[in-house]
Amino acid sequence: MSDAKDLMARYCDGDASAFRELYALVSPRLYGYLMKMARSKALADDLLQQTFMKVHRARTAYIRGADPVPWIYSIAHRTFLDEARKTKRAVVRVGDDDTLPEVSADLDGQTAGSKDEPADPELVKTALDALAALPEHQRQAVVLTKLEGKSVAEAAEIAGTTVGAMKVRAHRGYEVLRGLLGHKKDEPKKAAGGST
Amino acid sequence: MTDPVDDLANLPMPPPPALGNALEAELGALAPVRTRRPMHRLGVLAVLSLIYGGALVLVLTLRKDMHELPMGWLAAVAVGWFLGFLVPSYLALVPRAGTMSPRWQVAGIAVAIAAVAFVTLGLMIHPMGPSSLDYGVENFVHGHTCLEIGLATALVPVVVGAIFLRGALPVGSRWIAAALGAGGGCLGGLVLHLHCHIADGLHIGLIHGGVVILAAALSAAIVPRATRV
Repeated sequence: MSDAKDLMARYCDGDASAFRELYALVSPRLYGYLMKMARSKALADDLLQQTFMKVHRARTAYIRGADPVPWIYSIAHRTFLDEARKTKRAVVRVGDDDTLPEVSADLDGQTAGSKDEPADPELVKTALDALAALPEHQRQAVVLTKLEGKSVAEAAEIAGTTVGAMKVRAHRGYEVLRGLLGHKKDEPKKAAGGST
Repeated sequence: MTDPVDDLANLPMPPPPALGNALEAELGALAPVRTRRPMHRLGVLAVLSLIYGGALVLVLTLRKDMHELPMGWLAAVAVGWFLGFLVPSYLALVPRAGTMSPRWQVAGIAVAIAAVAFVTLGLMIHPMGPSSLDYGVENFVHGHTCLEIGLATALVPVVVGAIFLRGALPVGSRWIAAALGAGGGCLGGLVLHLHCHIADGLHIGLIHGGVVILAAALSAAIVPRATRV
């Protein structure tokens, strides 16, 4: 399978199939990123299309031999920020019908999350809620570094910030996230304890 | 019990949607495009800007006290202004090898260094000859023509740079724009260095050096509208 650089170069040479391959290569992870940032399937769908439309329109800016993926992520995030500011839908309330992806089985029949232990849908929902409560910068840092597996340097490049600032955002975001999750996990126990 | 954050990292997402109709339509008429060649563009920007700057010096005439000043100082300051033009322009236009992301951090540092260095050096080192003018504090404001000439000189590198970076910068565009402006401001400083015979420290430092700051600030305010994706 060709890598993103080759596909982007072929696409700039006028090969439409290379664009489709690039879309197939990049869009699953990018879509996951946008879903976690936007918390809305409809919005993530729209942002993904907008992102690739912008990539298409700005393809003359491509530098041959360069990895286009961080650039595409940056465009996606910029598009998300613009859209969020425009529509003030950066944080979508939990309970919207289209917001939460269900934890489903992989092709091999195992539930994703952990191959040893099934992910608890309630906990995942709680985690997504907590993630949505983070400020945009911290959410982006947590999503990129903790959830998307990018290095701090890659995440900083995508976000257009310094490595130091990205580390701080990711650390603070993760701490807040853990705090929120711990708090929310305790709530059902307290409620259960109070009823007896 | 697994960590919910780990669960979130491995949360299966729905498959991405198929390409939309608008994108399909664009792909139907896909044509080859010329991609960005940063060093080539830097060369074009430098040549165009230097031709424009040179033409301005010819039109405005060389400074009257040129032959009365130390040639070493004249040459060193001219080289300084030229490097002040070239280095920020390079950082603005040429990303690190293998990446497309602008070097906005280094560009920002270059802007700060250029701004501080040219103002400070102008205030501190300003030899004068018999034909040099000394406006001093009293006539300081009358030196505004130099500010205008400097900014007019900066216009070409900034506009050419903005055209070259059009739609290329999803992030970091403000510092990159500032670097283009600082580079243009330094070219303006070079033109003024060769033309203006007002040689007091306040004028050289705050007006000639101020061109760098003002051009960088104006460029940072305006250019990102053109360069953002």
